[in-house]
Amino acid sequence: MENIEKQLREEAKKLLAGKKVDVVVGYEQGTLPLQTTPCFIENPDDVEKLVWNSYCSQNLAKFAHDIIHQHRESQARVKPEERTKKIVGIVARGCTTRSLIIHLQERQYGRDEIVVLGVPCTGYISKKKIAIAVDGDEILESTVTGDTISLKTAGGEKKVPLGNVLSDSCITCRFNNPLLVDVMIGEAAPAMNPDGEYDDVNAFENLPIEERWQYFTKEMAKCIRCFACRNTCPSCYCKICFAEQSQPTWIGVGVDETDVQMFQMMRIFHMVGRCVDCGSCVEVCPMGVDLRKFLKKLDKDGFELFSHRAGADIDNPPLLSSFLMEDKEDFIYDPE
Amino acid sequence: MAENKSNENWTPKIVGIVCNWCTYAGADLAGISRIQYPPNVRLIRVPCTGRINPFYVFKALQEGADGVLVSGCHPGECHYLTGNLSARRKFNMVKNFLSYIGVEPNRVTFTWCSASEGERFSKVVKGVTEMVKELGPATKLVKKL
Repeated sequence: MENIEKQLREEAKKLLAGKKVDVVVGYEQGTLPLQTTPCFIENPDDVEKLVWNSYCSQNLAKFAHDIIHQHRESQARVKPEERTKKIVGIVARGCTTRSLIIHLQERQYGRDEIVVLGVPCTGYISKKKIAIAVDGDEILESTVTGDTISLKTAGGEKKVPLGNVLSDSCITCRFNNPLLVDVMIGEAAPAMNPDGEYDDVNAFENLPIEERWQYFTKEMAKCIRCFACRNTCPSCYCKICFAEQSQPTWIGVGVDETDVQMFQMMRIFHMVGRCVDCGSCVEVCPMGVDLRKFLKKLDKDGFELFSHRAGADIDNPPLLSSFLMEDKEDFIYDPE
Repeated sequence: MAENKSNENWTPKIVGIVCNWCTYAGADLAGISRIQYPPNVRLIRVPCTGRINPFYVFKALQEGADGVLVSGCHPGECHYLTGNLSARRKFNMVKNFLSYIGVEPNRVTFTWCSASEGERFSKVVKGVTEMVKELGPATKLVKKL
């Protein structure tokens, strides 16, 4: 891990000093233990800030998109011949590169506008699982050594195997190594365990319908519509979100529980063939809504019905903007 | 709304979102041929099934429809060549997702019905009305007004 960090800083410095990129998006140490925050480095001397460890949870593709689009907006009043491009270097693990591929497929920016610093990933630590492991105590310090993480709280120190606190999306991750790389940092990471990818979904599918409905309503009742899931999601980049549109008003602003359900259903549905299971929405949710259970279902259907995995292949067109004459249609009602 | 299954006079409200080029004309044909079908379905005409946002289906359920029927041209017969083919993928996901979260699968029906199939249209409406009657008034996802 330290080697990767060192190499990452060197490569970032090279890119910045050589003016190959205007900004590098990476992770830096956060202000609290167990935390890293996204950082934007424009000066080659600042690269020492960059870190790469098991606390790097956010999907940075969101910021590549935002930076490029902000820059384009700022260029709107510049004469066309004098317009410049902003090249973004981005520290990307497997899921981040999948999001970048989705952006490229959706023509959000050109391949020449990003430089991908690919890093191998062994999964990130879920803060919710940590909180459970220490019974919600405040963590004063944490260190990862090998396969264990030791957590220092006011009540003492606790050692937990890393495998127990990795995010659910990481444990069953299929693409933990970057799929789109300009500069590869370090060796490819060992594979995770993608065989159990849909176990959760399969188990949920086999529950009786009323239990599924109960679970859905219970989870959605937690949602306070803070829109953190939308704001962190790299696939949610619309300038005007349906959730805030007033003409037409898709989502009522009242306290009715169905309004929350509608918001979540529609946000989840916008992820058909676009959710890369990076787990960012689950990680940022302040209420702990089990979003993954529903998002993963779409992933499963996309794969089983149309052999499509979101962002896995740049040449494979997006799920809902392609079709085949022989797509399955056993769900079509026939009155005869 | 104080509607329940025990109310004998209850009949379902079904929203039919149909394609201008086929099912809407099919319904017209059923009308001018005087083919009888239940009056429970309210048709909304759209240019193509490919134009239907899955949110229309969810929203119809939220605003008090007991069932939703979506009908368009048979595959390969779309006025815009491929609108119904991309719609088919979308609806397959919608149907699976709704039943996954626990909404009765028969509340939402997708079918194909061309402009010359007045007879088929009446059968579809009969069938869908029967299915929704069986389920009773919608309780899930319904906004309390």
